[in-house]
Amino acid sequence: MLSKEERILGWYKIPKSSRILLIATTLVVIFLTPNLAEGYESTWNKIEIDSTDDYNAAVIDSNGDAWIFGDNGIIIHGEKMTNWSIVNSPIDEDILTAYSNEYMIAAAGENGTVIYKEIGSNEWFEKSADIQARINSIAINDMNEIIIVTDFGGIQILREEEWLEINSLTSENLYDITFEENRGLISGSSGLILGSEDNGLTWEIRETPGIISESEIVSIGFYKANRAYAITSNGQILKSTQEALTTTVGYSWTIKEIESENYTTSLNVNLTALEILSTTKILLAGDNGYVALSKDGGNIVTPQLLPDGFENQKINDIAMENAFRGIIVGNNGNVFYTENGGEDEPVGFEVIDLSNFSEFVDFTKDNLWEGLKSTIKIVIFGILLGFFLGIILAMCKTAPTTLKQMIESDLEKTLVLFWLAIPTSILFTRDSGIGLGIFTFLTIIGITILLDYYINKNNTDSEGFLGILIPNNHRNKVIRLLGLSLLIGMPISEEWGFDGGAELIYSALNDFHDFQLGSDTPKLSAQLGYIFAPIGDPSAFFRLIIGIGLTYLGILFLTVNGSFSKKTLFAGKLFVVVILWSIILTELFVDFNINNFEFSITNLMKYLLILGLGLFMTRKIIPAFSWTGVELKKYNITIDPWSLRPLNSLATLYTDFFRNTPLLVQFMFIHFGVQLGKHIQNIGIDVTDDLTMISSHLGPLDSLFSPMIDYVSESLFGPGKRSYLSAIFALGLNSAAYQCETIRGAIAAIPSGQMEAGRSIGLTYMGTMRLIILPQAIRICIPPLGNEMVNLVLNSSLASVIAYTELTRQGKLVVAITFQIFWTWGMVMIAYFVVTWTLALLLRRLEEKTRIPGLGISGGN
Amino acid sequence: MEDEVLIIENLEKIYSGGVHAVRGVSFKVRKGESVAIIGSSGSGKSTVLRCINRLIEPTLGVIKLNGEVINNPLANVNEIRAKIGMVFQSFELFSHLKVLENITLGLRHVRGMNKEEAEKIALEVLERVDMLDRIDAYPGNLSGGQKQRVAIARSLAMHPEVILFDEPTSALDPELIGSVLQTIRGLADEGMTMVIVTHEINFARDVADRIIYMDKGIIAEEGPSDIIENPKTERLKEFLSAMDDE
Ligand SMILES: Nc1ncnc2c1ncn2[C@@H]1O[C@H](COP(=O)(O)OP(=O)(O)OP(=O)(O)O)[C@@H](O)[C@H]1O
Ligand SMILES: [Mg+2]
Repeated sequence: MLSKEERILGWYKIPKSSRILLIATTLVVIFLTPNLAEGYESTWNKIEIDSTDDYNAAVIDSNGDAWIFGDNGIIIHGEKMTNWSIVNSPIDEDILTAYSNEYMIAAAGENGTVIYKEIGSNEWFEKSADIQARINSIAINDMNEIIIVTDFGGIQILREEEWLEINSLTSENLYDITFEENRGLISGSSGLILGSEDNGLTWEIRETPGIISESEIVSIGFYKANRAYAITSNGQILKSTQEALTTTVGYSWTIKEIESENYTTSLNVNLTALEILSTTKILLAGDNGYVALSKDGGNIVTPQLLPDGFENQKINDIAMENAFRGIIVGNNGNVFYTENGGEDEPVGFEVIDLSNFSEFVDFTKDNLWEGLKSTIKIVIFGILLGFFLGIILAMCKTAPTTLKQMIESDLEKTLVLFWLAIPTSILFTRDSGIGLGIFTFLTIIGITILLDYYINKNNTDSEGFLGILIPNNHRNKVIRLLGLSLLIGMPISEEWGFDGGAELIYSALNDFHDFQLGSDTPKLSAQLGYIFAPIGDPSAFFRLIIGIGLTYLGILFLTVNGSFSKKTLFAGKLFVVVILWSIILTELFVDFNINNFEFSITNLMKYLLILGLGLFMTRKIIPAFSWTGVELKKYNITIDPWSLRPLNSLATLYTDFFRNTPLLVQFMFIHFGVQLGKHIQNIGIDVTDDLTMISSHLGPLDSLFSPMIDYVSESLFGPGKRSYLSAIFALGLNSAAYQCETIRGAIAAIPSGQMEAGRSIGLTYMGTMRLIILPQAIRICIPPLGNEMVNLVLNSSLASVIAYTELTRQGKLVVAITFQIFWTWGMVMIAYFVVTWTLALLLRRLEEKTRIPGLGISGGN
Repeated sequence: MEDEVLIIENLEKIYSGGVHAVRGVSFKVRKGESVAIIGSSGSGKSTVLRCINRLIEPTLGVIKLNGEVINNPLANVNEIRAKIGMVFQSFELFSHLKVLENITLGLRHVRGMNKEEAEKIALEVLERVDMLDRIDAYPGNLSGGQKQRVAIARSLAMHPEVILFDEPTSALDPELIGSVLQTIRGLADEGMTMVIVTHEINFARDVADRIIYMDKGIIAEEGPSDIIENPKTERLKEFLSAMDDE
């Protein structure tokens, strides 16, 4: 076999920098590839009928026949939605609305015109109301009575061949009426919804959200007795569910925050028609050829394609026989028919038999392939994020930077950090949110470190900062000054000053106390509610943490005397014992009242248990209790406050947190709670806007850049990308905690002599880490990291809970469509196995390739 | 004086556990001189060496390299260490790098040389320790003596002012010791300044210009190599006779 150097074509022939570029490009390409295959076509098929009138309304009767009504009284009959013909109409007024139930069909239009027919008969009867107004909507109640609504609050019911006026309590325009058994709903202008529980005889005003008080509710509808939806001409979607057992659907309404519109409440189209297909599936139509389907109650609304050449035609009504089969009608004689709920389908779709395995595989493989791709994408970026973060955390954990070192040899850098970076970050945190603060903080640290690095190239261990040294005889003074400013902050002015540790702690505790999570007694058990306080006010929690840190440092720096020695707390152990016992005794005896004390076994047990625990914990100290000065010295506590390692503490906090909470909850917290995906998306959109602006000044280059910017922005921050971003971060952040531990273990396994040898030839700590320790440590941890990566692939299935359509969720969707449970989950399982197994094989090979000859027992040679 | 490369004054080290390992040690090393430090186990020899190139911080005392105080927090440790070579008892070669790369690493990343320059120097020093034939081997595939010679070459390559040896032969099988000692003797002849902690009394006597005998953290006796023949103090006498018994 040829060696690496001898091969003519090969990875190692490519210069190192190009290799990095190549990998980076590949990653970018993977990151940007769209999640869904392109090339869709409409499943709405144009029906050719010999008329070009505008069609305003359509219904499908209980025989499955379609009826279309339009201008000039035109009526079209679509027998079984296959044979289309124009039928004789008794009228020539424009027909605007239609309705059907099991027994009859009714339609109405201009000048009070009303026609109806019984199902089964072929004859249309006219029974117009005695009004000049146009009828906006018609409906039939449970007793087969026709009810119509008009502008200015007009309602009439056809009872025993007579039109009766009904009091609507309003003069708003009424646009739509519908019935479900004896319950009726009417929608109108100014956000009005009326409800009736008695077949439309009496109506009452129902409560609607204030945000739609200016909107016209153009359509309203039930799905059976358990859900109702309505839409407005401003593109809003309203939803009503049954609130309690005593109320029915249609009482209270909420406005939908539409996820696919960045959680705003409007689709930004003039909606005209609504058809409810199931409790969560709704079809919408509007101006300019807008037809859209939502399968989750208006959360994600997916616009649909109309056939080529008809994209911008106005759609006036939707009539569906079931969730899949139906028609939409519009101006210029347009009628479109679908058997697929109008859902766009990949080009090349054909009718299939889902109980035939080969056709089933054919049908689902695209879905599963999409899912697999999506899984691989979040896995790759999760792994990368986790790995880099993991290395950084592991290095933080193993870094020997104690406070003593920071102050003794890196005083100048520490000063820059505390006097510049932290105040700036806090300042920004206060003004524009935590994100910007952290960003600024990191940027400042990054820039200063880079600057320092480039100026002092190889001398990064000491020599001050940017060549500036604080003279020996002033160092202690400067440290004390720093300590003071950490404690009291920098009270420059209301606006620009920032708080010191003491103030931060005080204000945070105050904020927590305002929650009143505990009761008035000082008992510890009564205050347990406070463990949730961080969630109630995260910013106060951060203030508390920062405050404690700053106070600790402040006191320490203020008392510096140049020796950085250990500190002795006189009789410290006794203080601890006293505090412990005062907690125990308060717990047991505050509010204790012998008169109503219940002498039950459980109560006594509780008292004995707590007392016993206290005695056990303090058993070594209590017996030797003696109050002479000499004896007290025995209980001194010696602490070494200067040996605290801040980086290590922070990293430990991070890993402990992520390793002690379930990944599933992290997913939900990050996506739904913190809405990380949303924030990143918003930042991304802002950046895109800026870039587009910059690009627009570039003249001819603009036509090159702006499509690129659009493409990147669309594929990263477009609608529906939130869960993608959240999923990557949730997986990466979680995995980082575990990878950190693995890498840390590997670093710890490298003999300390290697670090000494590296340092002794003059390398810096970081240099030794990078060139000597990490290369060996990473080799050691390839097998455990491999396990972690396999875990990550398997864990990625949890991303389905945040609606990221990876493999598992695709599986769920396929099952929902095909009901082939065994086949689907079997195929999903095989797909996972193939991915993880390939990964494991690759890692095994990597391990072999990177093995250092002559090192370690491997079983091979 | 001009030619004193290394001056140690009143060095004391108390480890954080409270062990008082070195209790006031002072000595000087002149240019081209080789000084051997002998003494029983635990007498603080390694501690002294490690203080000199600041792998550990002395508790008290002053260390000067070419007249400059090097043990204050402001001094640049990396520059200092690059001037002081160190050879460890357990070799500490970088096991993921080939012999040649072990040597070029410091030249490239500390001295900032390019690959060709570094390799040229590396080949020169490897020739001096007679390891030219194994430049592509990984440390794991070398014998102990070969490893130690590569380690010596690694510190030589940095052109140090002084090389510190911490028991360079104690981890070697007796038949491998010879080649390493041979190499060190060669360096002494070339006029390399060296401080050698060793248990090889005969070697110390042959090679060292001066011998320092340490006991319980202090220098108990110090002088030219004939103090081995004529020890003045009881303690050194005892130590030497104990060594002879082995
Ligand atoms: N890192 C350390 N922490 C605490 N004590 C230490 C440490 N290193 C060494 N010591 C102690 O310091 C004393 C001197 O140790 P040192 O290693 O300098 O001895 P030595 O003369 O080199 O011995 P040997 O010949 O066995 O190598 C010993 O008592 C040892 O236990
Ligand atoms: Mg030793």
